[in-house]
Amino acid sequence: MSTVKKKYFYSHIVDTASITIELADMDMTPDERIHLIALAETNVHHAVLDTVLSELPEEDKKEFLIHLRDDNHEKIWELLKVKVKNAEGKIKKTAEEIIKELHKDIQEAKNKK
Amino acid sequence: MPQNSHYRHLKEKWTARHKDLQKNLIEKHADSLKWLSDNSKQIMVSALGGLLLLAVPGKPLLLHHTSVASGQELTASLDKSVFLVSDLQSILPGPGEPLSKDQETQTLDILRRHFNLKISTEENGIRLERNYGKIGAEQHLARYPGDSMSTHFDTETDSRFYWNSGMAPGLGAWGYFAHGPQMTAEDIAREKYYIAIQTFLAPGYNENTKKYSDFFRYKKMLVVNPDNGKALVADIGDAGPGTSTRKHLGGSPEVMHYLERVDGAQVGSVVYFFINDPDNKVPLGPINLVQ
Repeated sequence: MSTVKKKYFYSHIVDTASITIELADMDMTPDERIHLIALAETNVHHAVLDTVLSELPEEDKKEFLIHLRDDNHEKIWELLKVKVKNAEGKIKKTAEEIIKELHKDIQEAKNKK
Repeated sequence: MPQNSHYRHLKEKWTARHKDLQKNLIEKHADSLKWLSDNSKQIMVSALGGLLLLAVPGKPLLLHHTSVASGQELTASLDKSVFLVSDLQSILPGPGEPLSKDQETQTLDILRRHFNLKISTEENGIRLERNYGKIGAEQHLARYPGDSMSTHFDTETDSRFYWNSGMAPGLGAWGYFAHGPQMTAEDIAREKYYIAIQTFLAPGYNENTKKYSDFFRYKKMLVVNPDNGKALVADIGDAGPGTSTRKHLGGSPEVMHYLERVDGAQVGSVVYFFINDPDNKVPLGPINLVQ
């Protein structure tokens, strides 16, 4: 089974490949692996959205959501670069924290007898 | 750990986190999300939910711009769909896997709560081989002798949407739906919202063919796409698909369109249960979540 990996507006600064690699070594079917990768990406996505929305004032949130809805990454970054100080760093930090937690979960699963 | 326990462990953990993050997002940014709903009238509730909140594991986001809802309806539905989808995702197994007894019970509870219907996996001692499976696309069925693609659609819009699916060369499992073009609303709905079920795999089918066939004939079923919460009341109008297809049921073109399910490489799963409706009061077609 193959899937086309979705490109998010932050895909160039957030790398979830380490999760994919960890899961590749575990005993599960390809469908289950894909399921977990998507779940991991969903976790990261929601956390990133929360970080971004929390940084924006109400009016700008609306603009951001419209660009997100339209999948217009260029417009999203035009907005974030003006409205959020160090947007890239904040998104990266949020994503890294979640990815770290996901790795912890993987270790926990591996260590469980 | 035993085989696949890693998967189950991580699935449970990550689904729980997903729910928490989602809840947090909705609560913290409710006004903005509501505003987007109100101002996105060309986007289906499921698509909006999918875009922001319901990036469902292992399944592609669907962005079909095919229906129009008022902002208010959209917002109300969005909230409810979010919780239905979230509830189901935390219970259902991986794609293509059958439900365990526990998963079956929990899924039934959730759907009863959300749709207020009498549903079950078993009636009169009859049950299907499974209640969660991959749904493929079926063709239109001839409703009466002489029904063809040129007589099949009531409106231009329907014709435009559903013409390409074509008509099956054979009849449905129960023959024609009506004797002639003078059809009742029920005859029309039965073809429009039919599903093909692997009735022949039901435990005990071969020993009681007549009893089972009588039971399955146009039996109403609640069919739900767990990825977007879209649901409809369908009827069993045909038997199939064959086991070699690796699909577990089929949906008419209208059923597939409404549920936003597609055939081929991106075939997706649905849950489906018998509806107990002895007085024939539950109408066929799309069904909304309980308000």
